[in-house]
Amino acid sequence: MRNGHADDIAKLIEPGRVHRDVYTDPDVFELEMERIFGQAWLFVGHTSQVPQAGDYITTELGRQPVIMARHRDGGVYVLLNRCTHRGAKVVNERKGNAPRLTCCYHGWSFDTDGRLASVPVPEGCAADFDKSAFDLARAPRVGEYRGFVFASLAAKGPSFEDHIGPMKGNIDDLVDRAPDGELALDVGMHRYVYNGNWKLQVENVLDSYHVPFGHASTVNKQGVQFARREGDQKGAAVVETEKKQTAASWKDRKSYIAGNGHGWTSNTALDDSKRSSPAFDEYKRVLAEKVGAERAQQILTPRLHNSLIYPNMSIMGLNIHVRVIKPIAVDRTEVTIYPIRLVGAPAAMNFGNIRLLNVTHSAASFVQTDDLESFVRAQKGLRSHATDWVDISRGLGDEEPDRELNATRALATHEMVVRAQYKAWLGYMREAA
Amino acid sequence: MEAVARSPASPGADGFDRASIEQFLIHEALLLDSRRFREWMGLFADDGTYWVPAVPEQASPFDQASLFYDDRDLMRTRIERLEHPHIHVQTPPSRTAHLVGNVLIEEVDEAKGECVVGSTVIMVEYRDEAQRVFAGRQHHRLRRDGASFRIVQKRVDLINCDCAFEAMAVPI
Repeated sequence: MRNGHADDIAKLIEPGRVHRDVYTDPDVFELEMERIFGQAWLFVGHTSQVPQAGDYITTELGRQPVIMARHRDGGVYVLLNRCTHRGAKVVNERKGNAPRLTCCYHGWSFDTDGRLASVPVPEGCAADFDKSAFDLARAPRVGEYRGFVFASLAAKGPSFEDHIGPMKGNIDDLVDRAPDGELALDVGMHRYVYNGNWKLQVENVLDSYHVPFGHASTVNKQGVQFARREGDQKGAAVVETEKKQTAASWKDRKSYIAGNGHGWTSNTALDDSKRSSPAFDEYKRVLAEKVGAERAQQILTPRLHNSLIYPNMSIMGLNIHVRVIKPIAVDRTEVTIYPIRLVGAPAAMNFGNIRLLNVTHSAASFVQTDDLESFVRAQKGLRSHATDWVDISRGLGDEEPDRELNATRALATHEMVVRAQYKAWLGYMREAA
Repeated sequence: MEAVARSPASPGADGFDRASIEQFLIHEALLLDSRRFREWMGLFADDGTYWVPAVPEQASPFDQASLFYDDRDLMRTRIERLEHPHIHVQTPPSRTAHLVGNVLIEEVDEAKGECVVGSTVIMVEYRDEAQRVFAGRQHHRLRRDGASFRIVQKRVDLINCDCAFEAMAVPI
């Protein structure tokens, strides 16, 4: 698969299976960087990470280093982190504040909107040197919804509105939980890496099939997982221990797709009537005070477990967080998990969320580590030529429309969501950038 | 050279002698290396916490993410999982070797019967054909308990605490 012809790429995806090359072939990966990560709307960061003028964070879109900065004009700019002179990465820190972004190599200095502000020894510049042609490149398109900043590295393509539209409700579900109606991603991050393809993580976030097996070590002898939300005394019933099989309530969970590779899973069934702790009760009181008791009740009624905004981010409604997936190589991926601070919520409630996310999604957590082991083993197993095909056929043909949600629905232990991701994948991959 | 601002501990004073503290730290490290996690947890006071910050000089575990911040309840859940037959990330299990050195008694609070001991820790971990190294400065707040101590807090500041880690299953 060297040339990237649309016909060759199409051969990798069949109705209930995908060719192992999508996980293992470096040429496929190079094409993904060009056609998916070089074109799609990608999550960059959240405006709360750069509250003041001069604040910046650095990250990567695909493999390309970028800066997200707050300029004096109040705008948030997504800039390519590459000096327009000789190519050095301009900002090396993960975050900071600076009035100017100065390259370490020859001292070229850029404003936080990317404008080239000064060049040392300007008399050495060529006679026709046009300073304005050397501003830091901006991401061609940037979109924002409730503080979530996305960018596309392609000048053309589907609009941000078309891309994010089906997932706005999922973002609202999270943001509305903040008594002040806004989130802040300013409480640190978890970072982990694994020797496996990026899609293994993307596929996993909506995979409810693996939980009773992949996360067996998080389930007690009664088949119940540890408590993962502030105020819960115990977690979800995952396994029916007598029959040693997946619990009925777990099997009943649903997954949804709504185009563009996006999808989500319904909430984990928990006893919400018993959810109580000093921190949670106080949060509930503050939320009701701000939005009214009825609305607070609606907001606190769980609907969503994980939501995937294809291709590079997910948000979770159980242990609230934002997850960003960064491909590094065909068999190497880095993931960043941001805990969420609910603005206006009591500090104890926010601590409750941070504390539990430490044990669910840090590199040293109870849950994420077993997923990482599965990803690593998948990458190893896929070296085998026993068959060229990876099966994703569970529930094929059993999908049904959900008119109320304007989505397509299936059992969460089925693989509809993965098939939807490959449909979107193929859509990007068939188009030359 | 000026004395450090912290109150100097007098070796041999009321149970906070260096030898018994070092003995305790070595005992703790050996419990981890021999995967006697329950006995390791038993070294902690009922209000004890185990903290591995996720950024250098992290001021608090309450307002930002940490690699580990376990109270006794979370520690118990962690250890139950480490003992579970189907913990995939420990199949095969990690083998570790801790080295604890550069021990300094940094604070003494006689009223509470507590002291803070700093030490440098290096843990080499081998698992599934891969070996890696963790290193940093750790601080134990110890409370006198009869002839021995209970850990009120163990804090491990890894020099690479803010990097992206591959899965970490065992405590440092």
